[in-house]
Amino acid sequence: MDLKAIRTIARLELIINIRNRWILVFALVFGALVLAISYFGLATAGAVGFQGFARTSASLMNLVLYVVPLVSLLMGTLSLTSDKSTGEMVFSQPITRTEILLGKIGGLFAAIVVATLLGFGVAGLVIAFKTGTEGALRYPLLVALSLALALVFLCLSAAAAMVCRRKPMAFGLALFVWFFYVLFYDLLVIGGTFLLPERTANIFLFVSLFGNPVGVVRVASLIALNGQEIFGPAGAALIRFLGGSGPSVAFLLGALFLWVLVPLLLARRWLERQDI
Amino acid sequence: MISITGVSKRFGDVEAISDVSLEIRPGETFALLGPNGSGKSTTLKCVVGLSAPNAGQIRINGYDVYKRPREARRLLSYLPQRAGFPESLTIREVADFYGRLRLTAPGRYSEVAASTRFEFNGLSDRPVGTLSGGMLQRLGLLVACLPDVPVLILDEPMINLDPEGAVRFRDFLLRMKEQGKTIVFSSHILTDVEQLADRVGIFVGGRLASVQSVDALREALNRQARMRLTVSPLDCRLVDAALQAGAREARVDGQALVVTSSPEARLLILKALQTAGADILQFTTEEPSLEDFYMTYLRESRMAKENGHEN
Repeated sequence: MDLKAIRTIARLELIINIRNRWILVFALVFGALVLAISYFGLATAGAVGFQGFARTSASLMNLVLYVVPLVSLLMGTLSLTSDKSTGEMVFSQPITRTEILLGKIGGLFAAIVVATLLGFGVAGLVIAFKTGTEGALRYPLLVALSLALALVFLCLSAAAAMVCRRKPMAFGLALFVWFFYVLFYDLLVIGGTFLLPERTANIFLFVSLFGNPVGVVRVASLIALNGQEIFGPAGAALIRFLGGSGPSVAFLLGALFLWVLVPLLLARRWLERQDI
Repeated sequence: MISITGVSKRFGDVEAISDVSLEIRPGETFALLGPNGSGKSTTLKCVVGLSAPNAGQIRINGYDVYKRPREARRLLSYLPQRAGFPESLTIREVADFYGRLRLTAPGRYSEVAASTRFEFNGLSDRPVGTLSGGMLQRLGLLVACLPDVPVLILDEPMINLDPEGAVRFRDFLLRMKEQGKTIVFSSHILTDVEQLADRVGIFVGGRLASVQSVDALREALNRQARMRLTVSPLDCRLVDAALQAGAREARVDGQALVVTSSPEARLLILKALQTAGADILQFTTEEPSLEDFYMTYLRESRMAKENGHEN
């Protein structure tokens, strides 16, 4: 594996994404959302004003689960289905297709890291300035989980781009992936539990958690950010089954790793078979 | 240096190239000729490893392009028919990126720019998206020439260049040829082929129909050189006189007599026409185009095939 070539491609991908202003747009979106949630989070209770990190982190996670997969899928699909004429020159160099894929995903991930750190960072500073730093440790944890989710969906976008090749089709598939995991999956699981006997339904519910990276991150964030008390009896049972909060989060992160690895291997396999 | 053995490539139901076999020797300049869709670009893409053949094998200096891609591609540099680069990057950044991938020395960009005389004076910091087609082609050629490799594979390298750029690049390729590089290129421009190539491969309908030396190609083209004469009086006797003086073909076309012959036979034919009583009022020469050559080539190969069947 030529790490220098991977780094060179990743660096170029980062420069391209900085130039096309995606990073700036997403940083602004992230920052605005964090500040809006912090400021208007208690509006339904009749109060407005900045809330501290503890409340903001918990509310923000729900938003992250919607926005981050979409941003990652869009950026990934846009970049990985770039013009044929650009690809021919790169793919004729003495580097493997795997190295090109890893470089591109690396650069895109770096771009998302920059956008996330900028958006969440500036908003975090505002919150710290307004409300103090109590509960601030939860905030980097939230950022880390957001980035893990971004990496998963970047790899899914790579698989979508490689299997479709053409930009409009790849966008269509990427949007389907987003709808499926963010909106439909939970409905399907709930529907499934109605059809199954109670004991099987419980096992089905547990296993189905690992079939959706959004669900994995949601549960990991709930355990890591809020502890098991927010979870109710089912969550407590899950934590007991997995051996406590720490091992549970580790187990869920392991599942996320598989969600990175499997789409990446599929994308690689499809790219290797492609005519450029 | 480059060994292509029984290579076929299909895209769905379309057979792009079929059973292409070819040996290109070290230091040779080889031109691929053929009309659009005849299989030239697909062959070059297979050689570079961008398209995997359905059958056959390609080796560069002994390395199988698909089993040892890194080793094979280290020996070559490729220019696609339409070189493209990310639009937001500058010329310098593009050159720097490919320089890093090919591990070239830091000053190599300036060196190659000077050698090809494709300097982008004062424009190196311009974004690629603002370049004209010709400038983009120059950048593509510059990038393709960055690594100091023994094999250059160029798909229609001069297609978008202005006459000055084409002359400069032709001179550069001639110098590369003198240095012993193996150059494979496709082209529609006869002068490029005649000036640069040692041998040509003629593609017809996805098949490599013929491989011949440039001298043989030149001879075949010369045989098709035409004269268009306005003569008075225009009658059928002149056709016979031209044919007897060495014309390959002579016919009356409207108010003109059209004579196909080698350039050497032209003077004799003109004299014969005057002896036959023709007053030559005007005459123009028509050099054969590649299309003419293909048409004649296809006709002759079809006739040869039919004669073969009859025998």
